[in-house]
Amino acid sequence: MTNGLVLALIGAALAALLAGIGSAKGVSLVGEAASGVVSVDPSKFSKVLLLELLPGTQGLYGLIAAMFILIRTNVLSGNAAELSVQQGLGFLAASLPIAIVGLISGIMQGRTAAAGVSITAKKPDHNGKAIIMAAMVETYAILALLISVLMILNIGV
Amino acid sequence: MAKLKMKKIELIAMLTDSKKIIELLQRRGVVEITENNDEELENTNVTTVVGEFEKFRNTAVQALEIIDNYAPEKASVRDLLGGKIEVEKHEFGKEAMQMEQVIGAANEIIKNQHIITDSANSASQLQIKCDMLERWKNLDVPLNFKGTSTTSVFIGTLPYLISSEELEEKLPENCSVEVISSTKDQTNVFIICSKEVYDEAGDILRKLAFAHISEPENRTPNELISAYNAEIDKLVSDSDKAKQRITELAENRYQLKFVIDYLQMRKEKYDALSDLGFTENTFVLNGYIPEKFAESLKNEIESKYTAAITFTDPSEDEDVPVLLENSKFSTPIEEITKMYAMPGKGDVDPTPIMSFFYYLFFGMMLSDAGYGLLMVIGTTIALKKFKLETTMKKTLTMFRNCGISTVFWGALFGSWFGDIVQVVARNFFNKEIGSIALWFEPLTDPVKLLLVSFGLGILHLLLGVAVAFKMTWDTGKKIDAIFDALPIYLIVLGIAPVGAGMFVTVPEQLRNIGLYMLIAGVIILVLTAGRTSKSIFGKFFGGLYALYNTATGYFGDILSYSRLLALGLATGSIASVINLIGTMPENKIVKLIVLIIVFVVGHIANLAINLLGAYVHTDRLQFVELFSKFYTGGGREFSPLTVNTKYIKFKEENSND
Repeated sequence: MTNGLVLALIGAALAALLAGIGSAKGVSLVGEAASGVVSVDPSKFSKVLLLELLPGTQGLYGLIAAMFILIRTNVLSGNAAELSVQQGLGFLAASLPIAIVGLISGIMQGRTAAAGVSITAKKPDHNGKAIIMAAMVETYAILALLISVLMILNIGV
Repeated sequence: MAKLKMKKIELIAMLTDSKKIIELLQRRGVVEITENNDEELENTNVTTVVGEFEKFRNTAVQALEIIDNYAPEKASVRDLLGGKIEVEKHEFGKEAMQMEQVIGAANEIIKNQHIITDSANSASQLQIKCDMLERWKNLDVPLNFKGTSTTSVFIGTLPYLISSEELEEKLPENCSVEVISSTKDQTNVFIICSKEVYDEAGDILRKLAFAHISEPENRTPNELISAYNAEIDKLVSDSDKAKQRITELAENRYQLKFVIDYLQMRKEKYDALSDLGFTENTFVLNGYIPEKFAESLKNEIESKYTAAITFTDPSEDEDVPVLLENSKFSTPIEEITKMYAMPGKGDVDPTPIMSFFYYLFFGMMLSDAGYGLLMVIGTTIALKKFKLETTMKKTLTMFRNCGISTVFWGALFGSWFGDIVQVVARNFFNKEIGSIALWFEPLTDPVKLLLVSFGLGILHLLLGVAVAFKMTWDTGKKIDAIFDALPIYLIVLGIAPVGAGMFVTVPEQLRNIGLYMLIAGVIILVLTAGRTSKSIFGKFFGGLYALYNTATGYFGDILSYSRLLALGLATGSIASVINLIGTMPENKIVKLIVLIIVFVVGHIANLAINLLGAYVHTDRLQFVELFSKFYTGGGREFSPLTVNTKYIKFKEENSND
């Protein structure tokens, strides 16, 4: 295993790790708020569940970026590529946008969605508005994922 | 198409016909009644009647909840989607006659529920007493035993562990101590002593923190325990009987639902009555009605009753309710418009404008033909099988159409449950199939798809600008319309080939044309955008400011469409990862089993998450990028007096009954 490959794997790990932490934190924030609503009115469960799911996507984006790195470096197929240190650093750099933005936007989106839970509690018909507001935050995670993926796909191996 | 034209309706009819006319209006559901504010007319007070209806309805609702608790109905998909039981109208009248009986049953259900809760409470209290008595079990005298003619008795508890010998030492002579039971922190004792030392012993015991037994009874602990247990058994059997009775009464479920809906309708009818204005013999009804229903309603009412109906156009400053009507293709998207806001006074209905792009973008973000097929099949079955409410029907139809679009994009990109076709061929048949895309696979050329996304985004934005152009043009400000729209078209269309040139090769000529358009657009914008300002400086800086706004605004808007690519990639790559995990085992049979399990669970989860993502982000592209160009919203939705039932749906009836 070359040093370059180790760097690329660190990149993959960071993407899955940080974005995953962001989502976990975000989902738990909404979950706490949602439990309060469900305890009063269990019929709102499906509505608040939608909100709770929203910050969960950052973790998936991290997973996608990590998988792309693993696929590009042939780690998954068993004969890992001999990467130079520069190439490894390239993959590491490529993982950073989704890793860091995923971490922060996951938490922030969780906060927005948790605030949206109160909309669902008081005016269930306007649930869609709460979803849209939380989805605004996600835009930046999507942009970060896009850049990460474009970088990963275009690093020469 | 779009917003229906509203008329004001004024109906004057005989007081004796008032209930019948209101009932008719309720069944037709086309009139929104406004409150009478003519002070010369009298209002009726319906609070008592409505209160009565509410009371009975609450009883029925409560009873229904209890039934659902003890004899739950099998939850079906129909309930989940809010489907209703369909009945004929004359049957409704028949069922309504049995109301007293049903309310009687409801009361009995509630009474039995009370029996169940009360018995549970009493039983748990008795249980606590039994537990207390457990420690006195070895005592074979009644608890209130005071002693014989020569002896006195103490029965009670010391809050620490002590043996009978230790205690006897502390007490005067002629006292005998029997420890009934003891734990680490208390000792239950029976002390017998001769009458003479009773007071002395009492003083000592008090100092030792002795407490007499509470609630002394004239029975032995064992007798008491068995008596209590018998009582508990009886309570349990009472409660079982009550439960049994509730299960029997559960056969009234259907009637209860009926009564709930019936009372709801009655209540709304009486609420409507309170909005009317009355004279001695006539009543006046004011409201709004969509123009297209106006004539037929007028004919129907005037032919049956003595009534006079006039229609007028609402005045400019009135708060006219909005009702949307669209083509079959666009109608399902109305719910999305409603979620944002109903069109206000100056607005056009944005539904037909966004519907095509809505389906297109949704499909592109989900972009897996397999998932699309699942959506189409699922929604089609649900739509065929259940009698659904309009809202739910619209939503399902929307998802069906989005599903069709998803199949379209999925086929173009060659994604059927990710790369399952290739994976199965490679792992079980040792064949490499390669791409089955009708166009190209996004992963092989993401930049191309990114440009396609931006291109579609530009079309979407320019459509919004075009609508704004038409709206301004129609108000007569033709010059404003041109100078608002033209420079944006020139700039956006001009910058497109220049921007694309950074990623792919664009013909020199096209780039030059683009450049000239861009320059022309910028010049026009700077020269005209400040036209409302009076001073020459104001005009100039207004123009520059508009240029800055346009540049940053449209740049951000166009980039925002990159989510079309990103979400599509997300669906496809997670799907591929699922397939990859499924084929990890070496052994072919194990591989097949694992693949099937992982396939079903994984793809359902992926579909659910990406469905939510596609839905939310399609909404966003419409609300933020498109609506900001021309739409304000803020209208009030038309809410006619109608049959607002929860469980029952009437079969379509002919209009001359």
